[in-house]
Amino acid sequence: MVTRRDFFRGAGVAGATLAASAVSRVSLAALPEPVTMDKADTQPPLLPPNGRPYNPVVTLNGWTLPWRMNKGVKEFHLVAEPVVREIAPGMKAHLWGYNGQSPGPTIEVVEGDRVRLFVTNRLPEHTTIHWHGQRIPNGMDGVGGLNQKQIPVGKTYVYEFVARRPGTFMYHPHADEMTQMAMGMMGFWVTHPKGQHPLIDPVDRDFCFLLNAFDIDPGSYTPKVNTMLDFNLWMWNSRSFPGIDSLNVRLNDKVRIRIGNLTMTNHPIHLHGHEFLVTGTDGGPTPVSTRWYEVTTDVAVGQMRQIELLADEEGDWAFHCHKSHHTMNAMGHDVPTMIGVDHRGLAKQITSLIPEYMVMGERGMADMGEMEMPLPDNTLPMMTGTGPYGPVEMGGMFTVFKVRREQKPGDYKDPGWYKQPPGTQAYEWTGPLAEPARFRSEGGQSMPLATKSPGAEFQVRKPKDHSGH
Amino acid sequence: MNGTLQGLQGRASVFVGAMILGGCATFTPDGGFGSVEQEVRQRIGKDAIWPRTDAEREALESRVATLLSKRPLSADDAVQVAILNNRDLRAAFAELGIAEADLVQAGRLPNPHFSMFRAKLGHDYKIEQALTFNVLSLVTAPLAFEVEKRRFARAQQSVAVEVLRLASETRKAWIAAVASEETVRYMRQVLRAADASAELARRMEQAGNWSRLARAREHGFYADAALYLARAEHAQSAARERLTRLMGLWGGQAGYELPERLPDLPGTASERPDIERQAIAQRLDIRAAILETEAVARNLDLTETTRFINVLELGPARVLEGEKSDPYKKGYEIALELPLFDWGTARVAKAEAIYWQALDRAAQTAINARSEVREAYRSYRLTHDIAKHYRDEIVPLRKRIAEENLLRYNGMLIGVFDLLSDTRSQILSVTGYVEALRDFWAADADLQMAMIGRVEGTLGPKTLLTQPEAAAGH
Ligand SMILES: [Cu+2]
Repeated sequence: MVTRRDFFRGAGVAGATLAASAVSRVSLAALPEPVTMDKADTQPPLLPPNGRPYNPVVTLNGWTLPWRMNKGVKEFHLVAEPVVREIAPGMKAHLWGYNGQSPGPTIEVVEGDRVRLFVTNRLPEHTTIHWHGQRIPNGMDGVGGLNQKQIPVGKTYVYEFVARRPGTFMYHPHADEMTQMAMGMMGFWVTHPKGQHPLIDPVDRDFCFLLNAFDIDPGSYTPKVNTMLDFNLWMWNSRSFPGIDSLNVRLNDKVRIRIGNLTMTNHPIHLHGHEFLVTGTDGGPTPVSTRWYEVTTDVAVGQMRQIELLADEEGDWAFHCHKSHHTMNAMGHDVPTMIGVDHRGLAKQITSLIPEYMVMGERGMADMGEMEMPLPDNTLPMMTGTGPYGPVEMGGMFTVFKVRREQKPGDYKDPGWYKQPPGTQAYEWTGPLAEPARFRSEGGQSMPLATKSPGAEFQVRKPKDHSGH
Repeated sequence: MNGTLQGLQGRASVFVGAMILGGCATFTPDGGFGSVEQEVRQRIGKDAIWPRTDAEREALESRVATLLSKRPLSADDAVQVAILNNRDLRAAFAELGIAEADLVQAGRLPNPHFSMFRAKLGHDYKIEQALTFNVLSLVTAPLAFEVEKRRFARAQQSVAVEVLRLASETRKAWIAAVASEETVRYMRQVLRAADASAELARRMEQAGNWSRLARAREHGFYADAALYLARAEHAQSAARERLTRLMGLWGGQAGYELPERLPDLPGTASERPDIERQAIAQRLDIRAAILETEAVARNLDLTETTRFINVLELGPARVLEGEKSDPYKKGYEIALELPLFDWGTARVAKAEAIYWQALDRAAQTAINARSEVREAYRSYRLTHDIAKHYRDEIVPLRKRIAEENLLRYNGMLIGVFDLLSDTRSQILSVTGYVEALRDFWAADADLQMAMIGRVEGTLGPKTLLTQPEAAAGH
């Protein structure tokens, strides 16, 4: 017979540690010991050591919570607690999460499993957990005050139900949820189908992540919990590019990606180089007749989308939210546009007062991706990340879908940058360039202009270099 | 007559001899200025010179020219120039001459009174000769001389106070002038930043990135900055002119150059627990008040002594009656004015009232001195604390904010206009420190003055540190 400790080790969760519990051993004797994670790296899938078999998911920059079987019941132990989460190298956030990380670990079960979840509250205020999207007894739905008493500080509550419907779900508090979700309390839940399901195909790789957003003032650590819409950090699983791991697959793998949205706005998630089908929503797998190919799918607030594709194009393919502000890190929303504003003479005058001053934005904002200038502490540059050909000029909800011939099955390691075969990359034209015909007429037939607008002569400003940059 | 009055004169000389004991009644060679000079040197280490000959005047002028040729002009040199060159002060020196003349006058004997009566009828003569002398003046002259001596000493002290007060005011004027010049320089920097920001705003509109409204808002900063500078220049001109006046300068001399900065704030404000007692012992106005009461008290004695007898004249007399060859009858004459209508009570009452007045004034002078020195000391301590707070808290804080803002600008979290407007706040904090430092040094000068006499004079207009509406757009 294996001990619980051996069992967890056998589960192969690298980096997971048994928490030195503040709660006494005796009181926890009947509980599965809580397991915590101390890093934000993507952990390899947790192959189920017992219970019903299934193909595990890979949580992007996350992990799956180990369980124990207790007389046929799958027992998990979630600990709600303050955590420090690395948003990307160079920035850490003071969040609330579960078992050492925010978001909390992914919970994976199989359709028909009886699940018992112990929830210990180590937050400074009461909490609950709501099992978003699941069919469960009303008293297990986790709405504080409505379905149950909130879990007081220091107490442990037990939720128990049968995972009836296969699909993609989330969990999050439903007690002071505005604060608790703004602080990062959330997690992913996957219920795998029991055996073959007519609408759920087996896949080679199954990724999942949550969309989340924080408002952390540059130079500070704790999210502003009262922010309504004007967030400045857009994340997948509380990570911002370049902190988001790439999705590494083998050529011709069938890939499933599950996305849940716990931000305050929708996100059109876009994948380059492939078409995908939306095979599942909050309601479960979509009927085959409703599926059509997409390259972008909008994930609305509180929704889940499950997309599937055949990774049959080799290369490094961008994978991101298509709201371009969401592929930026913290930026000033009131910064005036400086494009085309000549700084000559002024830069010197300003540097006499502010010696470290440098002109930025005159040619656009790409300067930001190129220049490496000191920023406030604990602040990610607005656009960052360097690819094989220079600055990627991205942040936030951006990563790379890497398709490689040589990637081994079950290997999730980053294969490095893709080397395009010769003759398959954009190149510089060095021949002569004809002057293009320019648009000249103003006004349409319905409203011709009475006088020729002085604005008709468009001055096309070319980027130019000025001394003092 | 020579021969006839020989004996009379001989006797009179006895009286004269008695008079001399009353005091020296001649002019001093330095006109009493020596004690002023000494007082000034001892208190503030400066030379007070009262030029009375052309050569002395020339020497003094060349010394002033030498002091003014120092660039920049230090506070000590400015004070020395003022003491040497201020014409009001030189006029005050002349007061000393007037007071000394009174003293000498008081010390001199009244002239003896000679009277002669001559009548003739045939060979019968009647001749009365009397050499009388106001005997009472022998009693009263020492008293009157004492009064005048004290008045003279008081005049010397008040002249010394005037020198020291001028020194204090000049020092403060110098502080204000230096501070205001420093402020003007900072305001020029603010204007430069504002100018860059206004020009950038103009180019923003030109490039089509900004509306006229946005540009106008940004221009407000420039408008305010120009106002700040104008106010600072106004204050600077007033402060400098005051210093010029105190130093008694005109024409080319007024082009003196001041240092760029005030002296640094001393690390700690000095502890002076015994300051009230020291002030009572040192203050010249208290000494003057004491001398005044003493003079008045003597005056009261004098008045009381002479209340019944206004004049008692006494002197040798001789009478010849009869033939010219008859011998003179010798005797003396006493003339006495009786207070038949005037019992002297009014004069005594007046002197008494003056005496009580002097006592009360002296008492109030001491009370005021204590209060003034307490106030000056507290002001010295508090302005030190304020300047220290500016130096150690506010200025570094603004600097830190500016540094953090630059980091934010680097991250495109704020724009260049925010950066520039923040720079202005930083500069204003530096200006605030300059003013706090100015107030401290002025309080220091006031404290020194409070140990000498009454504190007077102000620092002139302050520069405005509050931010007007137009700039509040950020
Ligand atoms: Cu988005």
